[in-house]
Order: sequence, then C-alpha cells, then structure tokens
Amino acid sequence: MNGKIEAKRQHTEQGKGHFLDLKLPIGWLLSAYGVLLGIYGLVTKKEMYEKSLGFNLNLAWGVLMLVIGAGFLLTAFLKRGKDG
Amino acid sequence: MDPVIALNAVDYAIIGGYILVMIFVGYSLKKYMKTGEDFFLSGRSLPSWITGLAFLSANLGALEVIGMVANSAKYGIATVHFYWVGAIPAMVFLGIFMMPFYYGSRVRTVPEYLKLRYNEATRGLNAISFAIMTVLMSGISLYAMALLFKLMLGWSLTGSILFAAVVVLLYVFWGGLSSSIYNEVIQFFLIWLGLLPIVFLGLKEVGGFSGFVAKLKEPLLHSVKYLGTSNNPLGVDWFGVVFGLGFVLSFGYWTTDFLVVQRALASKNINSARMTPIIASFPKMLVPIIVVIPGLVALIVLPEFSQAGLPATEYNSALILLMKHYLPNGILGLAITALLASFMSGMAGNVTAFNTIWTYDIYGTYIKKGKSDSHYLKMGKYATIFGIVISIGTTYIVRSFPNLMDYMQLVFSFFNAPLFGTFLLGMFWRGATAWGGFFGLLVGILTAAGHYILYKFGVLHYASDMAANFYQAWWAWLADFVVTIGVSLLTKKRDPAELKGLVFGLTPRTKAAVRWLARPEVWGSLAIIIAVILNIIFW
Repeated sequence: MNGKIEAKRQHTEQGKGHFLDLKLPIGWLLSAYGVLLGIYGLVTKKEMYEKSLGFNLNLAWGVLMLVIGAGFLLTAFLKRGKDG
Repeated sequence: MDPVIALNAVDYAIIGGYILVMIFVGYSLKKYMKTGEDFFLSGRSLPSWITGLAFLSANLGALEVIGMVANSAKYGIATVHFYWVGAIPAMVFLGIFMMPFYYGSRVRTVPEYLKLRYNEATRGLNAISFAIMTVLMSGISLYAMALLFKLMLGWSLTGSILFAAVVVLLYVFWGGLSSSIYNEVIQFFLIWLGLLPIVFLGLKEVGGFSGFVAKLKEPLLHSVKYLGTSNNPLGVDWFGVVFGLGFVLSFGYWTTDFLVVQRALASKNINSARMTPIIASFPKMLVPIIVVIPGLVALIVLPEFSQAGLPATEYNSALILLMKHYLPNGILGLAITALLASFMSGMAGNVTAFNTIWTYDIYGTYIKKGKSDSHYLKMGKYATIFGIVISIGTTYIVRSFPNLMDYMQLVFSFFNAPLFGTFLLGMFWRGATAWGGFFGLLVGILTAAGHYILYKFGVLHYASDMAANFYQAWWAWLADFVVTIGVSLLTKKRDPAELKGLVFGLTPRTKAAVRWLARPEVWGSLAIIIAVILNIIFW
C-alpha cells in the first residue's frame, strides 16, 4: 500500500509543475514599483523628504526594489531557458 | 473628520498596480482549476519556498501587524514572546513530527484527519466550529482594513468593506487556494519592503537601541526578566507565557489550524510539506523587527503616545501614525499597499480555508454525499461567495470589541486550545479511542467557554485580560487531555491496523530520502537554536 502511494507521489512530482511561475508577477510588480518610485524620487523636491529625515526615500527604495524585481525576473528567465 | 494621511496619484498608482496584479494572477489561474484538488489544494503541486512563505504570511494579516505594533507600544519587547516562544517551537514540531501524519495520510483537511483517527462526530464538531471561527476571523480582517482606510483615507467603512470583499471574491473564485497562496507570497515581499523604511528611520531618529534604553522604562525593554510574577507590562507570569501561550495557544494554532496547515498540504511531496513550516519559521523569527521596533519608536517620537493612560484602542493607530510621521508620498503608497495586501490575503486565506472545510467536511459529508468531483468544485466556488457575504456580516459583531488582538486570542482559545490536546493524543498515543477524542474535545471547548464566563462575571481574577486568555487556553487543553484519556480507558480500543499511517509508532518512519541539507530535522533544530539565542539576547 505504501509503495503505491509512493509511486503516485512520484508521478505528481514529475508529472505536473505548479500552475504558474510566481517569480514573474513578483518580478514585474517590484520592478514596476522600483521604476515608478525611482523616477518620482528624481523629480520631487528636497522639502518633501524632511519627514524622512532628509533621505530621498523614493529614489533609494525605488532602486532597491528595481534590483530585487530584476533579480526575480532574471531567475525566472534563466530557469525557463534551461527547461525549454 | 479629516483623513490622517493624504495620498496622491503616485500612491494610488501603487495601490492600483497591486490590485491589478492580483486580479491578473487570479484570472490566469482560472484555466488550471479542473478538479476539486486543484481548487482546494493547488493540485498538491507547489514547491516549498512558496508554501513556506505563504504559511508565514497567512498568519501575517493586517490585523496581526497592526495589533502587534500596538502590543509592542503597550507591552514593549515582551511582545517577542508571540514569536520566539509562541510560534517557532510549534512550527518546528509541526514540520518534524506531525506533518508525516497529515500529508502522509493524504487527508485533504484537518477535520478529515479527525474522522480517520477518531470518528465522524469528532470531525463534525471540529469542522463546524472551525467554519464558524474562520468566518469570524475573515470578518475581523475586513473590519481591521475598513477601520484603517477610514482613519487613513477617510473612506467610509461600508465602502472599503465592499471594495475589498469584491477583489478577494474575484481572485479566490477564479484561482482557489493557489490565488490565496500566491497573494500571500507577494504580500510577504510587500510587507517587508513597505515597513522597513519606518524601522530604519525610526532607529535613526531615536538613536538605535541605546536610544530605547535612554528613553523608555526598563520593564518595556526585557522579554523574560520581569516574568517572575505577573507584575510586568503584559500582566502575565512565566507559567502563563510558557504553558498558556507557548505550549497550548501556539501549538493549538500552528499545528491544527487548517488555515495554516492547508498551505503545507498544497506542497508537491512529503519533504516539501515538512519543510513548509520550518522554512516559515526563519522569517517568522525576524518579524519582530518590523513590529516591535516601530511600536517602541512610536512611544518616543509620536506626541500622541507620550502621555500616560492612553485608552486601549488608541494603540492600534500606532503604525498608521508612524507612516504619516516618516513616509513621503510614493513610499507611503507602498506601505499602504503592504497593509492592504496583508489584509486581503488574511481574508482570502480564511475564505479558502472556509470553502474547503465547508465543501469536504460539511457539505460533502452531511448534505450531499458521494457527488462527482465537478459538483464539489462548483460548491467550493459558491461557498467562496457566501463565505464572503457572512464575513461582511461579521464585521458588525467585531465593532463592539475594543481590542482586536485580545479578541483574536479569545476565539483561538475557545476552539484551538483543546484541539491540540486531541491531536497530541491522537497522533502519539494509540490508546486514544473514538469517543475519547470526541468527549475530550467537547469538554475542552466547554471548559474554555466556562472559564471565559467565570472570568467575565468576576468569579476568577487575573492581572490582565491577556493572562486570563493564556490561562483559559491552558485549562481548556488540560480538560481535553484528561477527559480524552479518561474516556479512552473506558471505551473500546480501535484495531491498530486501522490506525496505520495515522499514529506514531504504527507508521513506518519516513526514510531520509533526501540529502542531509534538505532534511526538516536539520533546519528545524537550527531554528530552535536561533530562537533560544534570541531569547537570551533580549532577556
């Protein structure tokens, strides 16, 4: 009985992958946020950042998010390239 | 009343982007939902990094975040007990010891395990109480979000409740558990990215940890040192924390609550299922960074929090006021999106747990047995709709309770605390009988309810409501444990052959088929060691 379950499990594991590669939507969303915040940081004036103790938080965080987002996209595309 | 926070077009673009991505993800999952198992359990196909992050995020709802920041402002560093004592050991225990029975027996839900191990009545009791509880929780999430939007943006309560309900309905209806899990993973990243700026700026302004030491009262800065008696900010002594929270409440929640266990059941194989809670335990240990630090910062930098004797509900606004204090437009939209995401995924998680339990354990067992898989798939979709409608109704109940977090603990301890007694005996003692399980659980729930009534009418006294909750959980568990053993000794034993795969000692050990670096035992032990070290550092 256990052997049968094991075989079924193996089949599930190899037979179908998960539905969609989540790295893509995460990557796109974070990259888009990064670009948007980065540009917004570039065009906004210094006075806006008094509350954030003088840091241009939008620019800095935008760049960070773009890097993370691009990282997700890169991993997803590399994996896809390998599989296909 | 003017809204606390004024959003601009960039903020709204960020919020809108998130909503669009969620709807897109839900819609693109639609075509994969061919069987009940696809809809309710993601086809048991997900890798463990996804189920692990979802396992964590399912618990990191908006309510949890806002409530824990509030707790940190109220109780100080002692809030870490909800993480390092009240979560990590239970998560590791689930992964190492309990998951082989859950995943290995191929059950689809937690109540279904109770049916196999005990009897139909035990399953019914658990399934029905869970269905009610999960709808209550969903209502709490909805209410928390609506309150948040009212405070921040000046939206009407009803308006935001309906808006969020429709978005969640759309993507759960299309994608089922997968939608819910994918949203949780996205939320995981958003919540860290959205709240870390507050942590950095807060630490910079108050001058780091030494700033806390200089500006806050000593008892707020220790997790363990003042637990000798209940004379500490929590108002709970060490016994209540260790046995009430750390043992009963925590194990009851993390190991038997279908909302979290469902994530592990969606894993692609048994090793992934066992790794799910263990992977989750590492980021879980770090969550205090984004909740405890902001709570302490709020006490120092926010003028609203400097005067003593704040009414309890005001603490819940700590996080929002900090956002207003530190975050410029743009990043502000991100932080609000993070809260929106964590709220919506909290609600989606409850709704998917509800539709699964409803369809498999209530509808498919008592109402229409033996129908085709496509019939149940359809029922799951309908259940999504009426689950959401009931949660909307629940928001009106929640309004009459001032402290959301304590309310949550209250609900947990009625239903979950005794349940852990039933599972512990069921999985590790072959002598537990069918009716032993049922009466143990019933008496446990009644004990919790009875204890609550005695406390409310002033018969029992505790230093704080939280202490009452922790002790209530403990007594409910003890009652369950003792009654299950007592009744089991008097009733007919089950044939050991029937219990194969369900009980420790009657189940062949899972072979260590993977290399040692991928083994749950290795990572679980590491998690425990780190949690102990963290407790010592913040003693």
